[in-house]
Amino acid sequence: MNRQTTSNKTSALSYSLRDVAFIALTGVFCGAIFFGTSLSYNFLAAGLAAIGLGPFANDVLLGLWMIAGPLAAMLTQKIGASTIGELLGSFVEMILGGQWGAATLISGLVQGVGNGLGFAMTGYKRFDKLGLLLSTITGTLITFGWSMINEGYGKYNLGFLLLLLLVRFISIGFFAGVLVYWINKLVEKSGILNRD
Amino acid sequence: MDKLVINDLTFRYKNSGPDIIQNLDFTLQPGTFNVLYGPSGCGKSTLMKIIAGLYPEFSGHVTSGKMYIDSEDVDNWSTQDFSKHVAFLFQNPNDQFSMTTVKREFIFTLENLGMPVEEIEATIDRSLKRVGILGFKDRQLDTLSGGELQKVSLAITLAMDSDLIMLDEPFACIDIKSRKQLLELLKDLQENDHKTILVTDHDLMGYQEIVDALYHFNKGQVRPVLDPEKVFATYQKENRQLLFEKPGNGVESIIDLHELNLQNGTKSLINSASVDVFKGKMILLTGENGTGKSTLFSALTRLHNYHGSIKYLKKDILKYNQRKYARYVGLIFQDSQMQYLKLTVEDEIKLSLKHTNYPDFWTDETIEDYLKQLNLDQLKDHVVYQLSGGQKKKLQIFEMLILGDPVLLMDEPLAGLDLHSTKTVMKLIKEVASEQELTVLMISHQLGGLQDFFDYHLQLKDQCLTYTEVLNYESIS
Amino acid sequence: MNPSLKLGLVLIISFELAFMQSVIANLIVAGLGLIYLILKRVSPKKILWMLVVSIIPVFGTWFSFYTHGAGDAMHSAWLLSTRIYAYIFLGGILSYTGTVDELLGSLEQNCHLPSKFVYGTLGAFNFAPRVVLTVKQMKTAAMMRGEALHVWSPEIFFKSILISLRWSDNLSQAMVSHGFNETTTRTHYDTFAIPWWNWPVAGICLVGLQFLAFSGLF
Repeated sequence: MNRQTTSNKTSALSYSLRDVAFIALTGVFCGAIFFGTSLSYNFLAAGLAAIGLGPFANDVLLGLWMIAGPLAAMLTQKIGASTIGELLGSFVEMILGGQWGAATLISGLVQGVGNGLGFAMTGYKRFDKLGLLLSTITGTLITFGWSMINEGYGKYNLGFLLLLLLVRFISIGFFAGVLVYWINKLVEKSGILNRD
Repeated sequence: MDKLVINDLTFRYKNSGPDIIQNLDFTLQPGTFNVLYGPSGCGKSTLMKIIAGLYPEFSGHVTSGKMYIDSEDVDNWSTQDFSKHVAFLFQNPNDQFSMTTVKREFIFTLENLGMPVEEIEATIDRSLKRVGILGFKDRQLDTLSGGELQKVSLAITLAMDSDLIMLDEPFACIDIKSRKQLLELLKDLQENDHKTILVTDHDLMGYQEIVDALYHFNKGQVRPVLDPEKVFATYQKENRQLLFEKPGNGVESIIDLHELNLQNGTKSLINSASVDVFKGKMILLTGENGTGKSTLFSALTRLHNYHGSIKYLKKDILKYNQRKYARYVGLIFQDSQMQYLKLTVEDEIKLSLKHTNYPDFWTDETIEDYLKQLNLDQLKDHVVYQLSGGQKKKLQIFEMLILGDPVLLMDEPLAGLDLHSTKTVMKLIKEVASEQELTVLMISHQLGGLQDFFDYHLQLKDQCLTYTEVLNYESIS
Repeated sequence: MNPSLKLGLVLIISFELAFMQSVIANLIVAGLGLIYLILKRVSPKKILWMLVVSIIPVFGTWFSFYTHGAGDAMHSAWLLSTRIYAYIFLGGILSYTGTVDELLGSLEQNCHLPSKFVYGTLGAFNFAPRVVLTVKQMKTAAMMRGEALHVWSPEIFFKSILISLRWSDNLSQAMVSHGFNETTTRTHYDTFAIPWWNWPVAGICLVGLQFLAFSGLF
């Protein structure tokens, strides 16, 4: 009795039903975890807005919205997992009533592609510190490029713009980089992913 | 023609792990009612998942053996071929469904099988009617009880037209009345629809009159029981009693419930209950499955909405700071892993010691001593997520006791523990509770050996909470 | 309108909007979105909520361009704050005038999205209420042990992964035991066709959008 076990041995490209459900569920969890944050976002934004620093609220918290993607990539080590994770995550946010609607989905795609590019640069071989570092850098640059167009960042004066870029890199570097690294360490040490 | 034939089957979860099933032979005759019994956790579920085609697809490795269903070799079957022949009802009925309503789950299933659209509606109606639950068609699945979900599952197997129906410990989550109904329904399906039924259970109550064959699972193998009467006789129930005091007048209360109303969805669980929980006492909370005991614990820990008032030390629990309140009334969750925050046994204990209310009591020697009693002393560097179910439970209870919160709610802390562990754990709880004057409120289905541990008995029945002196229960002699 | 087509249209408009430099175009898109929501009888409460939650970011954006903008700061301020309203109402169309079931079902039938993606995602969505409850439980359980879990605590994500693993395993086994197989052909009880009039309507929307984009309005 040696039946084909499709879900046990999947290549880096093919997703099983369980993989999709897993990535989607982590996305829903991430959404639920920072749902409380949506409220703090508004407080933060209100405070910063009063002193003309509204966009910082966006950039300080942006990394939070970008956890699901690299997490999916690190855990499943699959090609495109980052984009799919991020896209599913933003889909969840949109449906659960995130305040940005359709823009969330586009941002999710941009974020996912941004993060995924870092892993792609390693040929999808380095799901480690290097892969994550590259992923946070490409994630920052690509999303910032989109913000230049979409949120009109191109219309800020240069000093303000550089400051925004720095804040964004710190946020993404911490949440989508360092935090994801810590989480992945916990997962590895706990042995819960060993399916053998 | 045999319904199912298994020859020389061997299965393990991990390549490096032990064989869960070892050179097993098993045959089922068509149209029969079969019961497979054995202790919990011996591998009965594993065997069923192999027959259902879920393993090794989802987990583990078959290292030897052949399986035939309806005389067909299953080697080249897809999971869908399996699902057309074999229906499998999971232990927890909540795990069976992936859609939100009864109808949507039916549609999903029948679409999967490629049923022509125009037949779907009639098939759903016919199947639900056969099980007598046509009225459930448009219900949300999360508003149905465990027993009702089992019936929906059965109706779906009828719609799928699978001839072999397997149920894994189907009565673990349902009350006695639903158990009786479900058994009658299964018998009916066997006799009138010629289904082959296979049920696993660790308890043989109520099966004697209806089974055709009884099998025993032991050490990875299945053996037919040649003299079932004898086995049934040993499983006869004996009526037993636990006696408790009734709270006197001079006892101080720590939690007061006043006109408490609890609901789960649309179902009312507790109706206008006004009782006190008494300080420094050990209280046993009983009630049938699905009456709302766990929901009551959720309400007491601010995890479930309620109407009426709950006071801790005469102050409304909602008026406490959330973090502080969490250290006044602790809950030992049914799922041990919910409680863990660190990776190793040692770090888990260290974390509890960091926050304990009784640092003087918990010296290194005391800790070491209790760890030995719990058989955890050799496991300090082990990852908590790799412990066995019983070890996880013991660690969880221990680390919550170290904290020494004034009130400790325990939701089925003895489930999955063997007799020896149960005694050790109860002794530990009793000792620590009296040392630190803890109030303990415990839900337990396992009642054997609990005499003398509890002061009071709180019963949840007919949506009311009352202290009673006598608890009658049935036990295997 | 067919859910997939609606999604595609909203995404194209949102994307193009990002490149457009006209305040009036933003207002027109936002206004049309609002009218559509009202015609679809979305509850006034939801519409009001969309207006309220956006006050802070809209004001924040406006004020920040007003103070830090380069060049025509006033135009930037108005342009980017009104754009937020356009996005919010466009998003409302997706969130409030259709269900996830419909959208995923339509993506399966009209766009041939593989069924494992459709049902893997749908199953996860159906867990959403349980997920919210579980996150609350995880936080409470940690507090009972004297620790607080924050959005930057790896533990809360680790535990989420632990539970996601178990649930995704259960979910896929449940689906497979109910006959799901990603390689076989499924039938469809609810069919999502694209009615002929959808195409001219989509066409008009897109042509109108190009007019707005290139008309040089303020």
